[in-house]
Amino acid sequence: MIQVESLRKEYDGIVAVDDVSFDARPGEIFGLLGPNGAGKSTTIGCISGLLGPTAGSVRVQGHDVAREPVAAKSRMGIVPQDVALYEDLPAEENLRFWAEAYGLSGQRLAERVRDVLETVGLADRGHDRVETFSGGMKRRLNFGCGIVHEPQVLLLDEPTVGVDPQSRVRLLDLVRDQAHAGVCVLYTTHYMEEAEALCDRLAILDHGKIIAAGTLEELRGSMGERDLVRLSGAFDPEAMGHAIQEIEGIEMVAVGHDQVTLAAAAASRRLPEILTLVAGTGAAVRETTVTRPSLESLFIRLTGKDLRE
Amino acid sequence: MRFLIATARKDMLRLRRDWPALLLWIGIPLLVGGLLVLVFGGESNPRARLLVADLDGSLAGRLLTGGFTQGPLAEIVDVEGVDAAEGRRRMEDGDASALLVIPDGFGGALLDARPAALELVTNPAQTILPGILETTLDVELEAAEVLRRLFAAPIDRIAGDVERDGFPPDSLVASVAAAVNRTGAGASEWLLPPAIDLEIAGPADEGFDFGRAFFPGMLILALLFMSTGLSTDLWSERRLGTLERAMVAPRGLAGFLAGKWLAGAAALALVAAVGLAAGRWAFGIEIANPVLAFAWLAVTGVALLAGFTLMQVLARTERAANVLVNAVTLPLAMLGGSFFPFETMPGWMVAIGRSTPNGWALLRLREIIDGAPQLGMLAVSTLTVAAFLALSAWLVTRRVRSWAA
Repeated sequence: MIQVESLRKEYDGIVAVDDVSFDARPGEIFGLLGPNGAGKSTTIGCISGLLGPTAGSVRVQGHDVAREPVAAKSRMGIVPQDVALYEDLPAEENLRFWAEAYGLSGQRLAERVRDVLETVGLADRGHDRVETFSGGMKRRLNFGCGIVHEPQVLLLDEPTVGVDPQSRVRLLDLVRDQAHAGVCVLYTTHYMEEAEALCDRLAILDHGKIIAAGTLEELRGSMGERDLVRLSGAFDPEAMGHAIQEIEGIEMVAVGHDQVTLAAAAASRRLPEILTLVAGTGAAVRETTVTRPSLESLFIRLTGKDLRE
Repeated sequence: MRFLIATARKDMLRLRRDWPALLLWIGIPLLVGGLLVLVFGGESNPRARLLVADLDGSLAGRLLTGGFTQGPLAEIVDVEGVDAAEGRRRMEDGDASALLVIPDGFGGALLDARPAALELVTNPAQTILPGILETTLDVELEAAEVLRRLFAAPIDRIAGDVERDGFPPDSLVASVAAAVNRTGAGASEWLLPPAIDLEIAGPADEGFDFGRAFFPGMLILALLFMSTGLSTDLWSERRLGTLERAMVAPRGLAGFLAGKWLAGAAALALVAAVGLAAGRWAFGIEIANPVLAFAWLAVTGVALLAGFTLMQVLARTERAANVLVNAVTLPLAMLGGSFFPFETMPGWMVAIGRSTPNGWALLRLREIIDGAPQLGMLAVSTLTVAAFLALSAWLVTRRVRSWAA
């Protein structure tokens, strides 16, 4: 399992990760969700031992990554965000090298290379150089290199970025298989739908801090039954703020000159009331969107911005 | 250790797949060496070709020309008679070291002590050989003037008789001979000093063997090029993302770097072995201690690889690293005796070249090839290389770790 306690990482005085703590358990997929620059990759870097934390600690299967790096690292597998393969070598040589890097040898090494090629659907392409592979095949082999030594903890740093839908589905299945096999999986992503479909528990990161954490149900529950209403057009933020205060049960989430976001229970039924009030402020509404409670709506409610902004 | 060996094996596989680069690394120095040997005539000893356009045809002209093929000069000078026009055309083509034009009336002018102008046209593309020819001609003309002064009276009598009758009578020849004898006897005190038999002790002068002079430099040049090429691989690993992946492996960066240098050492040793074998069997160069030469080349190669890797990682970008390494490699090759043997370089350049890493390695290699290695110096050199390797490894590891942060 992974235990992260009060992790902090600074770069030249800039705080990239601030007081991050969480546990991830065996057989569980723990998601780190957040926009680009939220601190997900830095957190993964500190857990993997690539980066030294400024403060706090990381333990993997009970071994402190800073104090017992060999014991901790040998139990970890990592699938980096970008494909990290030797394109001039065959797939099986790539797997063989990374297996040897984690101490495998002899019969076990040969079996694992064969099994992983089978698992990632490249059994018939093992002798082919990676440079001849499609993007999806490279992604699968990249994943294979991370699991070839049968790690107890698997770190995946946005492994589906730039992957076609078919390959994405296949990769997510491979991740689920690892969790079913008892591996503790830490999965970072900025795709809400991926996190909702895959993760058992989640931590939402923004500006290096965890702003919400729990199971999917717990996080949805924290939104209550409130929908998000997003209005686009031209607004007077001050007038909008005063007007919304007059309506009971509606919360202002974010307000700007061209967009306003509100949270309200049964928002679609209350839309006429909302729009009348907004029109009274002199605003011109061009588009109205109502969103059911979701991770995305939670993120917007917590941060006042879209995850992809 | 397992990661080190796995990395070395992986890199050797990658090098084997990149065999055109390996061939280029071996081929370029051989090509450069071959061209340089061809430029210098492709022979063990360079020879000067002197074209002589003798418009006079006199005995004096023939004696002057004959002087170039006497004694030791005969080993380096070929004299070829041509007419003046052909001689000038061939000089335009750079076909000879010099053209000597002996003007009509030169013999008479010499006997009469009248001024006469000899024309010596030298090849500007050559420096040493035309210089030898010019100096020889100066000495010959000085000698002719001394002889003319010593024997002025008999020469004048013969010259006057030849002008009148066309051929001197026997009595005149006999009287001139007697006069020459008397002059010679009178001058013998200065002309014939006590004979000294000078014996020069030391190694026999075997001449300047261009193939032998170029060969060690070409081997070092091959290692220089190859280590430059191999040193770029850390940037490739960084670009591929594999360096970062290796850094999170349990044995991490140290084993990874050591493995890369081990693979590099194997490739450099292979090139050294091929180069030595080619020198021995293709070019007939005697190598006194091939095993020591091979070992020294391997040590040199790894030291160069370490040095260039350090330069690569100190640069901020891959492009800057390549510019830096190339900017260092070419002057090193030029100064360090790899492009041109030290024997053909000016003294100040030799002094600098001997202090360059490759020049220093080259000197040790030449000693080994010639069978005169200074074992003490070689041991100190090897220890210095080992210390440099350790320092480079430490610095490279520190620098690469900072890339991740």
